[in-house]
Amino acid sequence: MIKSFSDDLPIVDIVKATKVYPPDIIAVQNVSLAVGKGELVFLTGMSGAGKTTLLKMVCCIEQPTKGVIEVAGHDLSRIRQTEIQKLRRQIGVVYQDFKILPKQTVYENIAIPMEVMYRSPKEIRKRVDQLLETLRITHKRNIQTAKLSRGEQQRVAIARAAANEPPLILADEPTGNLDSEVSGYVMELFKQLNNAGSTIIIATHDESIYRKSRHRKVELQHGLFSGHVGHRQLPLINA
Amino acid sequence: MGHKTYFHIKQTGRNLRHNWPTQLMTVMTISLSVLIFSFFLLIYLNIVNAGNRLGDELRLIVYLNEEVAPEVKQMYENKIREFGKVERIEFISRAEAFARLGRQLDTEKDVLADLGPDFLPPSIEVYPRRSMRNLTSLKQFSDYLTTLPAAQKVQYGRSWVERFGYFIELLRVIVILSGVLLVMATVFMVSYTIRLTVVAKEEELAVLRLVGADNKFIQTPLLIEGVLQGVIGSACGILLLYLIFRWTTGHLSGPGFLNMLDFAFFPPKTTAIIAGTSVLLCAGGSLISIRKFMRI
Ligand SMILES: Nc1ncnc2c1ncn2[C@@H]1O[C@H](COP(=O)(O)OP(=O)(O)O)[C@@H](O)[C@H]1O
Ligand SMILES: [Mg+2]
Repeated sequence: MIKSFSDDLPIVDIVKATKVYPPDIIAVQNVSLAVGKGELVFLTGMSGAGKTTLLKMVCCIEQPTKGVIEVAGHDLSRIRQTEIQKLRRQIGVVYQDFKILPKQTVYENIAIPMEVMYRSPKEIRKRVDQLLETLRITHKRNIQTAKLSRGEQQRVAIARAAANEPPLILADEPTGNLDSEVSGYVMELFKQLNNAGSTIIIATHDESIYRKSRHRKVELQHGLFSGHVGHRQLPLINA
Repeated sequence: MGHKTYFHIKQTGRNLRHNWPTQLMTVMTISLSVLIFSFFLLIYLNIVNAGNRLGDELRLIVYLNEEVAPEVKQMYENKIREFGKVERIEFISRAEAFARLGRQLDTEKDVLADLGPDFLPPSIEVYPRRSMRNLTSLKQFSDYLTTLPAAQKVQYGRSWVERFGYFIELLRVIVILSGVLLVMATVFMVSYTIRLTVVAKEEELAVLRLVGADNKFIQTPLLIEGVLQGVIGSACGILLLYLIFRWTTGHLSGPGFLNMLDFAFFPPKTTAIIAGTSVLLCAGGSLISIRKFMRI
């Protein structure tokens, strides 16, 4: 495992991060957020609020224009490519646009992160089948993902992010295309993973999945945290 | 850790399945290059070999005015060896020369009856070492031998040596050119196909990066792909040459040019070197593409 995936330090530490897309679109402005190990955090806010941008910066797809982002103690602006790859193996990401491979089957897509970790074929088969079961898509196991509905594709993306039971999971609108019943299964999976020790950040505008939740919620508005602009204290680890 | 190879091969299989027409074309180009190169190399090696065998017969004949008395033979030998490296020296007396001609004529021996045993001059036959068997050395040697006491004239297969020398030189150039062709064709074709694979799999490679695949996971299958093309391509090329060789020797058997040459296929070691070099070239080709088209 990676350096300082330890209990005391925040696993994700965003300090006054700002992201400006060219020419001058401010997606995230002066945002600070610390997420401790084992937390499950809902990152809420209307569409366009900057949730996706924030998650992309955490998994090294985008660089912040200003500010510092640390993941597991690594300053992402100073990390080498090989270290980024190592870090990414510890992070499961559900992308808002899925980023699954259309020509490969459901099974193959979910297996990819485990193959990258060189898990045994037997282990992979067992885990993938288990995830298919949990998300109720066992019957689509050997079908190309291009032929699935959006909701089914989304579940493939979720299963892939969960495959390795990574220490950190970032989920961007994971229930965006799902009905409430399937959303329930997905949230059940996230809770299982969280109980097993994974830290999870869920970006969502779907009020139904976080309204009754006892977990921490932070809200982004126009790239700022509502109420407590650019402050580190409030969105810190909640006890 | 033991599953690494398994996944690398699995990934290679996926890549191959995906653009097999190009793969096939590459393998065919490699086979053809290997075939052309090893074809000329085979001819060259055989001719050189034959040249060496024929060269063993190569000698300078010094015709003399008079017989060499036994007591001055040593003096002659010393003088000859002083100039150049010599395999052996033979003194042929009039009588021996006559006897030899008789043996060569065999049944038509009668024609000699009238001539009497003295009509052929005595001679010294000088067999030069291999290092002396080129036109310049032979010419110098011949000039020197003319200065020997009692030497009348010196003869050697001048035009033959000359022509054979040019022929070998020409073959050498052809072998080198086809070798250059082999290098360029394999490296270019392999790097081209690997580039196609990389371009076609751009989306997949991007996803692999996103889930944290290390360089090895992405590059090894591409390297295997190149090596595989090399292995199959050179195997086909050499096998094809072997079949052509067998067919030709089978159809042109009996007394003839090939038999005179004692035409032979490559020894296993040469075959292994040709195949090994082609595989290395292919690996090089795929590395070029990996370096060039994947910012890692
Ligand atoms: N690649 C991009 N280039 C330019 N503007 C972008 C890009 N990605 C997002 N934006 C803009 O940044 C803002 C925040 O977008 P996003 O992070 O996707 O918000 P959310 O995920 O909360 O809907 C939006 O105004 C969006 O149009
Ligand atoms: Mg979004």
